[in-house]
Amino acid sequence: MIIGVSASAESDVRQSAQDLLRAVGGGLLIGLPLLFTMEMWFHSFLLPSWKIVALFGVSFVVVIGYSAVSGFRRERTRTELLVDCVQTMGIAIVVSAVALLLLGRIGPDIGLRDAIGKIALEAIPVAFGVSLAGSQLASADDDDGEEQGMAGDGNAVGTLGRLVVAAGGALLLALNVAPTEEPVLLGVQAEWWLLALVVAASLAMTFAIVFYADFRGGKTLDRGEDPLDHPVSETVAAYAISLLVSLVLLWSFGRTDGVSASAIIGQVIMLGVLASFGAAAGRLLVGGGASSSRSEA
Amino acid sequence: MRQNWLEWLALVVSILAVVGVVGFLLVDGVRDEGRPPLPLVEVRVAEAYQTPHGWLVPSTVTNDGDSAAEALVLRATAEIGGEVEESELTVDFLPAGTEVDVTFGFSAEPDGEVSVQVIGFRLP
Repeated sequence: MIIGVSASAESDVRQSAQDLLRAVGGGLLIGLPLLFTMEMWFHSFLLPSWKIVALFGVSFVVVIGYSAVSGFRRERTRTELLVDCVQTMGIAIVVSAVALLLLGRIGPDIGLRDAIGKIALEAIPVAFGVSLAGSQLASADDDDGEEQGMAGDGNAVGTLGRLVVAAGGALLLALNVAPTEEPVLLGVQAEWWLLALVVAASLAMTFAIVFYADFRGGKTLDRGEDPLDHPVSETVAAYAISLLVSLVLLWSFGRTDGVSASAIIGQVIMLGVLASFGAAAGRLLVGGGASSSRSEA
Repeated sequence: MRQNWLEWLALVVSILAVVGVVGFLLVDGVRDEGRPPLPLVEVRVAEAYQTPHGWLVPSTVTNDGDSAAEALVLRATAEIGGEVEESELTVDFLPAGTEVDVTFGFSAEPDGEVSVQVIGFRLP
């Protein structure tokens, strides 16, 4: 759009090839841990088709949300945004299919339904990586004049945007553990007072990471005008979102079917440790909010 | 909005991939009647071979149901030298519509038919 005016067609193609390669690289960076997770392979046939489609649809919505908040092409229309996100999912499917082929997880002797289910499930984390590659991982001089890297221009991201990104970060980190057995064991075996301590520790650590630890993109303790733009309320809101993301993930992988409420709460809190850290990392990544002050340092 | 052939190619391939995967799963989801696992075992007696540790009979297990079976236990029964002999094995996972190759072992070549019984399985 902007760059196409002066550049020759050839360098245009080279630019596009770079974009695609970055998308594939980012997709693999985020997707590989789950491509190597046995439970992900099994869930392709343990989950019914409608649930896989539903999860794929939810991740599509997340990709749209993330793109809208942090997209690297600010000037695109809604239709363009949507088409870009379809392309993100498409690239993810292709990357996931090739990776599963190379890992020997799909092939001629695997049922078609099983193979497609595996491709669709593994495409979800890959799609998040592709989406990230489009915004966070682009080099600064990629598109001349265009500002890249969200930490620099985070003021454009409002409180709501920060919470959307917090949900994305929570999903990204918790997704790596959600399909495994560990959250079930941790949640079922923990006593109530242990769970209470875990909640307190999660809140304290994420609060400290975002507001005290002086990470790039971290914030000071000044409050903004928005009621959610206050360190305590933002931390609590992000934690609530993290717990919600954990619950959705556990439901996705059938961990809540026929399980008692207390066991579900235990699992949600344990998986919420990862989710809340992911949410904190996500918020650091976008910086922003009225009280952002360190991103330029 | 797409500037060159490579971007167009990426877009077309992407749309095909998304439509293909989602379409396939949707059609499969509609066809899925929620039937329970239906394990079928084809015993290939003709392909049986001898080893120092017994006579091995390759078999193929398929699942004609709509849902997967976990920890499927199969028991094959055959008559060998006038005596009934049993061979038992477990299939970890039997997804719907998938073939799993297994092998039953006997002490010697079975006299006639090898019959297979499903002992049980877990619904995942």
